[in-house]
Amino acid sequence: MSLRTKHVIIALLSAAFIVSLIFVQWMEVARKQQEAGIGKHVAVIPANSQSCVECHQKSSPGIIDHWKGSTHAVKGVGCTECHVAEKGDVDGFDHYGTHIATVVTPRDCGRCHKTETQEFIASHHARAGNILASLDNFLAETVEGSRVPFNPHSPTPGRDVTLVNGMASVDTGCKQCHGSKIALEATDGSLLTLDDFHPGADGKPTNQAAVAKIKKADNGRPLLHASSWPNTGIGRINLDGSLGSCSACHSRHDFSPRRARQPENCGKCHLGPDHPQKEIFEESKHGVAYRDLLGHMNLDAHKWVLGVDYTQAPTCATCHMSGNKNNGGKVTHDPGQRISWTNRPPVSMVMDTDKQGEVVKETDPAKRAELIHSTWQEKRTAMTNVCINCHTENYVQAFYKQYDDFVINYNEKFAKPGQKVMAVLKEQKLITPQEFDEEIEWTWFYLWHHEGRRARHGASMMAPDYAHWHGMYEVADRFYMQVIPQAREIAHAAEEAGNAPAAEAVRKVIDELLARPEHQWYEEQKKQPKTAVLRQKPPVPIQDVAQP
Amino acid sequence: MSESETPLPPSFDTQPRRSFLTSASGIAMSVGLVAGYGTFATMLGRFVYPTAAQNRSWLFVCTIEALALGEALDFISPAGVKIVVARQGAGTSSEDFLALSSVCPHLGCRVHWEGPQDRFFCPCHNGVFDRQGNPISGPPRASNQPLTRFPLKIEAGLLFIEAPVTTLACRTDAGASPPGTPTDGVA
Amino acid sequence: MGRFTAWLYERIPVSSEQLAELTNEPVPNHLKRWWFCLGGTPAYLFVVQIVTGILLAMYYQPSATTAYESIRYITEEATFGWFLRSMHKWAATLMIAAMVLHQMRVYFTGAYRQPRELNWMIGMALLMATLLTGFTGYSLAFEQLSYWGATVAANISDAVPLVGTTAKQILLGGEEYNERTLSRFYILHAAILPGTIILLVICHIAQIRMHGVTEFSDPADPPKGPKHFNFFPDHMLTELMIGLVLMIILCALSTVFPAMMGPKANPLQTPDIIKPEWFFYVSFRWLKLFSLSFAVISTGFIVAAMFLWPWIDKLLRRITGNEEISVYVGIVATFLLIGLTVWEAVVAH
Repeated sequence: MSLRTKHVIIALLSAAFIVSLIFVQWMEVARKQQEAGIGKHVAVIPANSQSCVECHQKSSPGIIDHWKGSTHAVKGVGCTECHVAEKGDVDGFDHYGTHIATVVTPRDCGRCHKTETQEFIASHHARAGNILASLDNFLAETVEGSRVPFNPHSPTPGRDVTLVNGMASVDTGCKQCHGSKIALEATDGSLLTLDDFHPGADGKPTNQAAVAKIKKADNGRPLLHASSWPNTGIGRINLDGSLGSCSACHSRHDFSPRRARQPENCGKCHLGPDHPQKEIFEESKHGVAYRDLLGHMNLDAHKWVLGVDYTQAPTCATCHMSGNKNNGGKVTHDPGQRISWTNRPPVSMVMDTDKQGEVVKETDPAKRAELIHSTWQEKRTAMTNVCINCHTENYVQAFYKQYDDFVINYNEKFAKPGQKVMAVLKEQKLITPQEFDEEIEWTWFYLWHHEGRRARHGASMMAPDYAHWHGMYEVADRFYMQVIPQAREIAHAAEEAGNAPAAEAVRKVIDELLARPEHQWYEEQKKQPKTAVLRQKPPVPIQDVAQP
Repeated sequence: MSESETPLPPSFDTQPRRSFLTSASGIAMSVGLVAGYGTFATMLGRFVYPTAAQNRSWLFVCTIEALALGEALDFISPAGVKIVVARQGAGTSSEDFLALSSVCPHLGCRVHWEGPQDRFFCPCHNGVFDRQGNPISGPPRASNQPLTRFPLKIEAGLLFIEAPVTTLACRTDAGASPPGTPTDGVA
Repeated sequence: MGRFTAWLYERIPVSSEQLAELTNEPVPNHLKRWWFCLGGTPAYLFVVQIVTGILLAMYYQPSATTAYESIRYITEEATFGWFLRSMHKWAATLMIAAMVLHQMRVYFTGAYRQPRELNWMIGMALLMATLLTGFTGYSLAFEQLSYWGATVAANISDAVPLVGTTAKQILLGGEEYNERTLSRFYILHAAILPGTIILLVICHIAQIRMHGVTEFSDPADPPKGPKHFNFFPDHMLTELMIGLVLMIILCALSTVFPAMMGPKANPLQTPDIIKPEWFFYVSFRWLKLFSLSFAVISTGFIVAAMFLWPWIDKLLRRITGNEEISVYVGIVATFLLIGLTVWEAVVAH
């Protein structure tokens, strides 16, 4: 082989060498891109929180590990940023050199997450703590327990039970979803809540007498009363006057948006016989699609916008809170902004709301117009904007017709009549003012609070079984087979006891109700001669019913 | 095959050097070799050069309301460096804020703020800086080295600073020691 | 130029003629065949190993707690780290393979015979040193196979009579693998063995220059033509070609089969399938076939025989009268070597 040949060969081999190095470079670039895409999640412990993490890594590693997985950790938001308390906060105490508070409230979260907090505070979620003054609460506090402690029946072997805490049911049940009223122990054995502290606009107490009574542990820590803490109920009433708890949905300490996007998150509270939204979602086609396509729904996306980041199926968050392509991807922390009927009360109400977000009950149209700040149509449009990412406009409007008809049918056939029956019984003093001490009160409660409500929810979220068998069927059963007979029994008993006018008033109401066309199938036919045909009118053609 | 080979020389080859090197094939060969091994050497150099770029990350400082016009706060980076963050404009863009390193650009000592004299002072060699971080006197003035500025950004009303996060002094997730290794014994 | 040359000659009194005499060895014509260039291949790969090894050493940490993590950093984060590590790994394999092939070439061409017995032994020493370098190198990764391979090897050396226990304790820095063991492996791998190899290579090449390369007559050569050609530039260019081809092969292997991270060493759990590096498969298989002491002692004898082969060959030729006797022995040995290696490679246990 001549020298020249060798030169040429070497030149060619060098070229081949360079080509293979270019390939190596290309692989390196691809590797770097992949690394960047994976997103190195490096938790950064900010300076103020380093001693917190060192100690708690050993004493409560779960908290630290959760936090390290959060976006807070990547951005250098550590323990002190949320837990720091100002001098003057009622629950603040010195902990290894830093003044902190255990409970983090929306006021704290709202320092950085302003928009979300404002929307949340305006929503009904934040007011969930209002249940503490409601009928439901009476059930849990008094019927299921006792507002004052009572003596045990007999000894419990192995335990020293001297007093029974009758508030246990409401503390562990209602309050864990609806939110407790955070209470500190007082030196005189009582409890101190915001009703005692009267916090100002800055969250600091104005009643110093109450502050003086705060009972503190040896290390200076104010003691949170077990009836109110631990609690992450969404409507928690906090010591600084703020309402709610962000950790209800954004569980601490990783505050994962991914988790909040999934129905299981809402399902901690939105399930059960009286509002089975989770079960209804699972029955519906939405839920069926979700369960199948969950892996493709891009749950970890930073912005999770329907129509942009995913389209496979909606979750609770999708319809009620998340952003979609039609509304510019804007998330709302006030689900009420998209709800057109409120199905919570015995009789569903249209969601025309005032400036405070309360439903306008005024009937006079002129006065209504003045009070209404946001109409039910606006809310429905906001919801429709979600639906039309997958469904056509006609489809959506026809669905809403079905839904409206269903609610109105329930309202008019069973809810309002039921209310009337209960009202007349109360007026005539045939039932005591005390709730739940008579059977009919339970019966009526089941009808509207459980069966009627889940029927309406089933209709609203396309779960036919909940709408019908678990819903209206049971409503009808309850109404005809229990409410009416029980009311009549009470009237009968009244008459026997000599109170004929009351009995007459009750019977009149019932008879008038049952004389209405929609109820005639029940009683009227009994009054006809036995030879009469059951069906008195020819069946109504369907096209008439379809008239809007 | 052997005709064009160089014959065995009594001493170094008798062919003049130039023709060997200036022949086309010789040039092609030389260029190829230099290019090939040169690229390889460059890659080795890249390997050795420390990847400092990834060591910074955007960290939360405070809400913009927390810092009033004319006020300053000390941000201690996870690496333990004190950075002075001040607000100089009433607006809400990142130009209204200033983040100055407290590390003297001369030889790395820590400067401190002297309020009464309205200056940053470095005790090592008497370097002096104004409130903007510009050098006024001392060695930094002589070489015109101001205090380093850290990038700032504002998102949703929150102030973020781009600061180093992966130095030995700073504890991060990546620095976790394997199980079974003795810890520092810090309580 | 003349003044500079004079200045240089005053301080380094070597003339260009003397330099040419030293470096421009006449290369016999048969070295134009590629089979005969197998000596330069391991040398080139050794240079690659030194360069990549030094660079890897900038990131590697020889401590039981941080070694694995430092290698992970190289493999996953450092720019071109995966590439350099893979090159280092593949160059080791290729170097040992090339050495074995070179030795086989030398053996089958009888180039170990008088007066070149010493060079043969230097070559054997190089082989041993390189195998040991490969072994210590892999032990540094602190993967499962690293840790357990080192433990097994140390226990094997323990079985060597007389010096075995001492050797094991010096190797491990204790009775068994402890926190100081990695440092010893590291200094062996990065300093002692490479230094030894460099010295041996110098001796090896010096011997070749002293004795000259054994000449073969090639019928293909024209009868009256030169029987030699120049090292520089002819053979040098050949070597350059080989070097480039090796670089390309290394790049290809590194990108298609990059070095990965095995599971981290767990002193409490031996993995189910445990094997040394491929170049030790033959001895590993040998070990499994016989009792420990027999395997160790027989291996010792075989290695000793390999070292002393020039004299054994002389003896055998005298006894059997067959000049080619070594070739037959070599064929048998090669088949045995390949057979045992492949056997170990295909089975799990």
